[in-house]
Amino acid sequence: MATAQHPSAPTLRPGVQPLRAGQGTSFLWRKLHSLLGIIPIGAFLLEHLLSNFEALKGPAAYGAQVRFLNSLPMVRILEWVFIFLPILYHGLYGVYIWVRGNSNIVYYPWAGNWMYTAQRYTGLIAILYIGQHVLRQRFMGISLPENPGAAFAKVQHELANPWMLAVYVIAMIAICWHFAYGIWLFAAKWGIIPGVKARKRFGFVCAALGLALAIMGLVSMWAFISPRYKNTPDIVPLTTTQLHIQNAQPAYTLL
Amino acid sequence: MASKTVQLEIKRQASPDAPAVWEKFELEWRPGMNVTSSLMEIAANPVTADGHATTPITYDSNCLEEICGSCAMRINGKARMACSALVDNLEQPIRIEPLSKFPLVRDLQVDRAVLFENLKAVKAWVPVDGTYDLGSGPRVFPQQQEVNYPLSNCISCTCCMEVCPQFNEETGFVGAATIAQVKLFNNHPTGKVFKEERLRALAGDGGIQECGFAQNCVEVCPKKLPLTNAISDVSRDVLIQKAKDFLRS
Ligand code: SF4
Ligand code: SF4
Ligand code: FES
Repeated sequence: MATAQHPSAPTLRPGVQPLRAGQGTSFLWRKLHSLLGIIPIGAFLLEHLLSNFEALKGPAAYGAQVRFLNSLPMVRILEWVFIFLPILYHGLYGVYIWVRGNSNIVYYPWAGNWMYTAQRYTGLIAILYIGQHVLRQRFMGISLPENPGAAFAKVQHELANPWMLAVYVIAMIAICWHFAYGIWLFAAKWGIIPGVKARKRFGFVCAALGLALAIMGLVSMWAFISPRYKNTPDIVPLTTTQLHIQNAQPAYTLL
Repeated sequence: MASKTVQLEIKRQASPDAPAVWEKFELEWRPGMNVTSSLMEIAANPVTADGHATTPITYDSNCLEEICGSCAMRINGKARMACSALVDNLEQPIRIEPLSKFPLVRDLQVDRAVLFENLKAVKAWVPVDGTYDLGSGPRVFPQQQEVNYPLSNCISCTCCMEVCPQFNEETGFVGAATIAQVKLFNNHPTGKVFKEERLRALAGDGGIQECGFAQNCVEVCPKKLPLTNAISDVSRDVLIQKAKDFLRS
């Protein structure tokens, strides 16, 4: 019954405690969680999906993209400060938010309530997927920062397993969903779209963006499983000329 | 002639610690009856459907026209006002339970004092008390009245808090009603003297940041308050206030 009592709470009562006016730091942590989802995590997602799209131009172009990203100044620091740590924080704090809420779609099956619940499940899928993806692709097997030419084959081997392919497809859809609704939530909760109509319109914009990103992601996956680049050598040489030739091929010839 | 009847199932609890039991009642159908009038009829003749004598059911109600906010309860699983819940529109048997997020007093009566505490915590009033005549207040233009009036309709029923997935003992979330009142009183030409204090209060633990924007509150509100709009607007104001405080500290 009697829950831990905050000193500022006026009277000792069971049940939900009154607002701890102006006290504590949860505002800061919650807003940080929200902001990180857009910048840098959302921005990184866009970059990653665009980079993946290079795969449609072939193993060499894909390898060149990996080489380019790894040639950025201070890339190892960027990677930790702008990718790993924000995702870790966003994910763990997200789980913390989840366990403290109680979903009630059984009694109140309204659209917003469904999306509230979906945002939690897609987030969970995302964090589990990203955990294994980073481990297996970044920290296990052949090291891609040193051997960017091996990038295509490494992913190809992963996706050759139909179970893995299913995991990637589900995660791609879940993550794009989570990001698209996340942008909408961000705009709603930071007071950018306080109007009902504006929220509705922006909802369509976010849905379109999410759909476009998911399709883009799935199409890039096709490059790795299509017969066109079957049995790509484990490491492809990345010469500039070759890159040029590969770039010259329009993407649609694969499909 | 077999008359039409109404079946009710009511969750009862004699005291906060007593075990909950369900009792069934059967009433003769009458035109226009609602849940509160059914509870009154049971009080007049407290006998269960299988003929056992019982006690009248404890519940809150006052205005009987959805304007006092006292009769909120869960009817067929959903939080709503009993006095405006017409029996003819409800699936039978009508299952009636107390609100689930507030300490139970007895039967359908719960203690919703937390809303009052929250309204006090954000100073949801216009400060006009004094030892001398303050004169007439500043004018509120009709355009501003249009914005404020819907927010002033809140009847403190706590339905928006009951249905909110974020309102629970873990978060101690303040709930949509209080946030809407912050917008109302911050808009008031005299009430806005406390604007900064209200916004800072809402950034405390259990404050506006806990909202997950599930939008249940705005769906359920019997007085149709624009709650999500208010949450969005006030969130921005709180954020700007915190940023200002940080830079001016
Ligand atoms: S929008 Fe959802 S989470 Fe926010 S107050 Fe309303 S019901 Fe609660
Ligand atoms: S905002 Fe609506 S649901 Fe919430 S207490 Fe006021 S009238 Fe009731
Ligand atoms: S009795 Fe007043 S709102 Fe129902």
